[in-house]
Amino acid sequence: MAVDVSEAVEEDVPSALTDVDGRRLRRGLGGVAVFLVLWGAASLTQPEYVLPSPLVVAETFYAQAASGEMAVALGHSILHWIPGAVFGTGLGIAAGIALAWSPYLDDVTSPVVRVLRPVPPLALVGFAIAWFGINHAGAAFIIAVGAFWINFYATYGGVEGVSEDLLDVARSLGIESDLELVRTVVVPASLPEITTGIRTGIGRCWMLVVASEIFGVAGIGRRILRASNNLQVDVVITYILVLSLMFLVVDVAFRALQRRALVWR
Amino acid sequence: MSETPRVRVDDISKHFEGETGPVRALDGVSFDVADGEFVCLVGPSGCGKTTLFRIIAGLEAATSGAVYLDGERVEGPGPDLGLVFQEYHLFPWRTVADNVGFGLERQDVPASEREQRVDDLIEMVGLSGFGDTYPRDLSGGMKQRVALARALAVDPGLLLMDEPFGAVDAQTKKMLQSELLDIWSETGKTILFVTHDVEEAVKLADRVVVMGKNPGHIHEIVDVDIERPRSRSDDAFGTYYQRILDLIE
Repeated sequence: MAVDVSEAVEEDVPSALTDVDGRRLRRGLGGVAVFLVLWGAASLTQPEYVLPSPLVVAETFYAQAASGEMAVALGHSILHWIPGAVFGTGLGIAAGIALAWSPYLDDVTSPVVRVLRPVPPLALVGFAIAWFGINHAGAAFIIAVGAFWINFYATYGGVEGVSEDLLDVARSLGIESDLELVRTVVVPASLPEITTGIRTGIGRCWMLVVASEIFGVAGIGRRILRASNNLQVDVVITYILVLSLMFLVVDVAFRALQRRALVWR
Repeated sequence: MSETPRVRVDDISKHFEGETGPVRALDGVSFDVADGEFVCLVGPSGCGKTTLFRIIAGLEAATSGAVYLDGERVEGPGPDLGLVFQEYHLFPWRTVADNVGFGLERQDVPASEREQRVDDLIEMVGLSGFGDTYPRDLSGGMKQRVALARALAVDPGLLLMDEPFGAVDAQTKKMLQSELLDIWSETGKTILFVTHDVEEAVKLADRVVVMGKNPGHIHEIVDVDIERPRSRSDDAFGTYYQRILDLIE
């Protein structure tokens, strides 16, 4: 009987989901249309260097893409976005696990962590230049700092929340070392929080791409800053859209990964 | 008679500082459990049953006294002691089969043998066909079956159960009780079973350790001398039931 019920439920769920998804999609497209109309109307009252119309932006977007300039800028940004995101995320998770697991490490590091935590990544530009130079590594450093804290706190919270009882059960089934407990219980149990941290961090990294290029490293951020100085608002909006699209692509991809990793939820 | 008991609980006391002064949770608790015996621990809430469970399991230290398993002092949790809790505590990210196999992964068992053993255990607890199911899709009774199979997998010398059927409905509870008795006679395991349900204790146990409170201590140890399967409607059942109830109240 139980099996019959669960099968019936499984059949129902996808159709219910597509209904909801379809409705969301329709409403979302409606929202975009209204936004574009309002934007277009507002742009009629303003000169182009203050607010270009959606059509002008679309033309600029196409021109930037066709000339290859967009791909070059994006390529540069990706070259520091990837190492920044990877190192920041990896170190943040590792530090979060270590400090949440070990009260000793937590006590030792807590004052330093509290001093460093509120420092905005942008304030570290001087260090980025001094330690790495005006290059991808320097920009990656800024991005990594942003990713680090998000992942650190998400992981820390997740590990802190792991039930003591699950650890007792694991010990009673023969797990002896802390390292093994972390691997077999702590990490899988806090995977929901850890992956949420990664996802939030990845988004933050795209935002930090602009900040990380403020001191002269090439990329989308640099392109936005240069266009701003020249009052090319259409170009500014074009590259903001590129950032948003990149964020969207990576976020959707990661969400799919996250769902697969958390099928048990 | 000089044979070492499977479990020896030797003069366990547990005191701690409470908000209103020192609390004596347990005072001089001693009893033995023989190999293959089914012993229930009953008592009113606040008599320190759960504290005693945690001390025997090695999850908590006693203020004085010691617990011995096969003559060796219990210093912490380990595969010699199979634990089953009221709230199941399954690993939610693991399927039924992977929960059951958790302890076996730690041991030097070839993969094929491990799978066979996991299959056998799943069948023994009546969950054939649910090996790939995640805990979130199981009922309380099914979860407790998984927890039992997981504890049995590493072949512990003692199965220690803390109110394992306290969170399931009455019907499921009855079913699980008789299944546990079947598994007990099939495997010959030694079981120490904590409960506040006197009827459950009389139904299951060879001996019932009756505890009292303030401080937690042993009132009396009652030998339940009734043939199995036992029925609530038997006169003898009623007599034991009343006697233990009177001891507690």
